[in-house]
Amino acid sequence: MNREGQGDDIIIASNLVKTFPGPVRALDDFSVTVRRGEVLVIVGPSGSGKSTFLRCLNGLEEVDSGTIIIDGLPLDDNEKHRLEIRREVGMVFQSFNLFPHLNVLENVSLAQRLVRGKSRARAREFSMELLARVGLADKAASFPAELSGGQQQRVAIARALAMMPRVMLFDEATSALDPEMIGEVLDVMRQLAEDGMTMVVVTHEMGFALEVSDRVLFMEQGRVIEEGAPEQFFNTPARARTRAFLRQIL
Amino acid sequence: MIRTRRTSLSLDLALLALLACLVGFIAYRITVHLDYAWHWGEIPQYILRHDDRTGRWVPNYLLRGLFTTLRLSLWGGLLALALGLAMALARTGRSLYWRLIARTYVLLLRNLPPLVIIFLFYFFLADQLIPHLALDVRARKAGPGVRWLLSLLVAEPGSISAFLSAVCTLALFEGAYITEILRAGIESVERGQWEAAHALGLRRHQVLRHVVLPQAFRQVLPTLAGQFISLVKDSSIVSVISIQELTYQGSQLMASTYLTIEVWVTVALMYMLLTFPCSLLVARLEARLARRHGGDGHDWGCLCRGEEVL
Ligand SMILES: Nc1ncnc2c1ncn2[C@@H]1O[C@H](COP(=O)(O)OP(=O)(O)OP(=O)(O)O)[C@@H](O)[C@H]1O
Ligand SMILES: [Mg+2]
Repeated sequence: MNREGQGDDIIIASNLVKTFPGPVRALDDFSVTVRRGEVLVIVGPSGSGKSTFLRCLNGLEEVDSGTIIIDGLPLDDNEKHRLEIRREVGMVFQSFNLFPHLNVLENVSLAQRLVRGKSRARAREFSMELLARVGLADKAASFPAELSGGQQQRVAIARALAMMPRVMLFDEATSALDPEMIGEVLDVMRQLAEDGMTMVVVTHEMGFALEVSDRVLFMEQGRVIEEGAPEQFFNTPARARTRAFLRQIL
Repeated sequence: MIRTRRTSLSLDLALLALLACLVGFIAYRITVHLDYAWHWGEIPQYILRHDDRTGRWVPNYLLRGLFTTLRLSLWGGLLALALGLAMALARTGRSLYWRLIARTYVLLLRNLPPLVIIFLFYFFLADQLIPHLALDVRARKAGPGVRWLLSLLVAEPGSISAFLSAVCTLALFEGAYITEILRAGIESVERGQWEAAHALGLRRHQVLRHVVLPQAFRQVLPTLAGQFISLVKDSSIVSVISIQELTYQGSQLMASTYLTIEVWVTVALMYMLLTFPCSLLVARLEARLARRHGGDGHDWGCLCRGEEVL
């Protein structure tokens, strides 16, 4: 599926600045590059701009300045580029955001039909395949309100995967879940990483970060404070601020 | 819980007894003191009349009025819904220009008395716009099949222009309320729904069509149905521009027969015939929605007409 001649960097974000009225500098000259197949975990205190960064990556939020290139496509004012990038970038939200008026199968099939132009039968076939992958094939006819949080989030992951994205963004995908359901969602994410999906994951699950990620990035006040391989990041953090943060959450 | 039930039950009984006394008193006054000659027997012939020439029963003034009211309400309701949807989309849309237009529309129409709106728009539409379409002439020239269909669904060929003007004015007036109802519905859909749909690559119109509007409509369906009942009732104001709907027929009949009370009681019952099934439907819908949302206090009240501030 790789595009020819795009090199190994699938996400190139350079010098992103995003301010909100306040004024809050949610992103302050933020730069990061993600390699194809890499799993990048972003950690940081509340309000540090993690969600804002993810939302800028698929154009839900517009940056004030800086450039974002996803798989060779620049995210700019061009509406076509924005739509194309959204098709290539899947997103999973903390609050699931399933469509409550559609059943599980329709949730997963909707975008395949509307955006990819698939027939009902072909969309259904692929949706069932994905639901089986997240272990919910038997829930195809259920409505979101009839599912547990963990099940809803797995449906949301299947829904994002249905677009066959090249990159998946996870914004605290397990934060709204009861503890006993976190595992089932992390398992799906782990499997995805093993299958070679490029992932940018905002999470407080340090175990997951240590075990699954290729790189951990610590951000604060819209800036990169420190990044590195997980063992090095957790065992021998270079910056005092990082050590303080890790002491707080571990 | 049970305690409050009890007290409200005894209160209900007391109120019921009071009401019974009141009704009894009024009945007593009417039978003993009111010098009114009852002629209920004359009313049925104004509903259905036996045509001696064809030997068939045909609808007379009141029933024809009821049908006209029904047609007015259905077409007016449909048109108002279309207008309301367009304006609600404009009102919640991205274009400042359209937002202003929709806002002005709602502001104007909700701050004028319905009668004034009716007169203004009726005389504007009827005098300036609709005659140019020469609908009546065309309808008269049409084949018998088309004419029959027209008088079944719209109005007698001679009064199509007037009927159309009335439908437009009603729709314009009710559309303003429907705009606000639908706007509230659209705004009640969480931002996360927009974001999830956008993140999947859906375009704005697809998000609206497949994600936001279905949820918005579901949310405001009871309110919308309630507004339709209002429309049935409000349709009586077009009697002032001589549309021969139920209220108009009632007043004509009263003037010619002096059966004042009988006529209006009959008219009231006929309106109930239209609105009561709608009310039952609304109650059903509300109960069903309350069950679906676990009765978590959806505040329909704030969605009702006139409550939403601009
Ligand atoms: N739509 C918005 N309007 C105004 N301010 C915003 C908006 N979105 C985010 N912010 C501000 O931008 C900053 C970064 O927010 P962001 O949601 O990206 O933080 P976060 O790292 O995801 O925090 P959390 O861990 O609590 O989710 C915060 O100060 C927040 O208040
Ligand atoms: Mg966040």
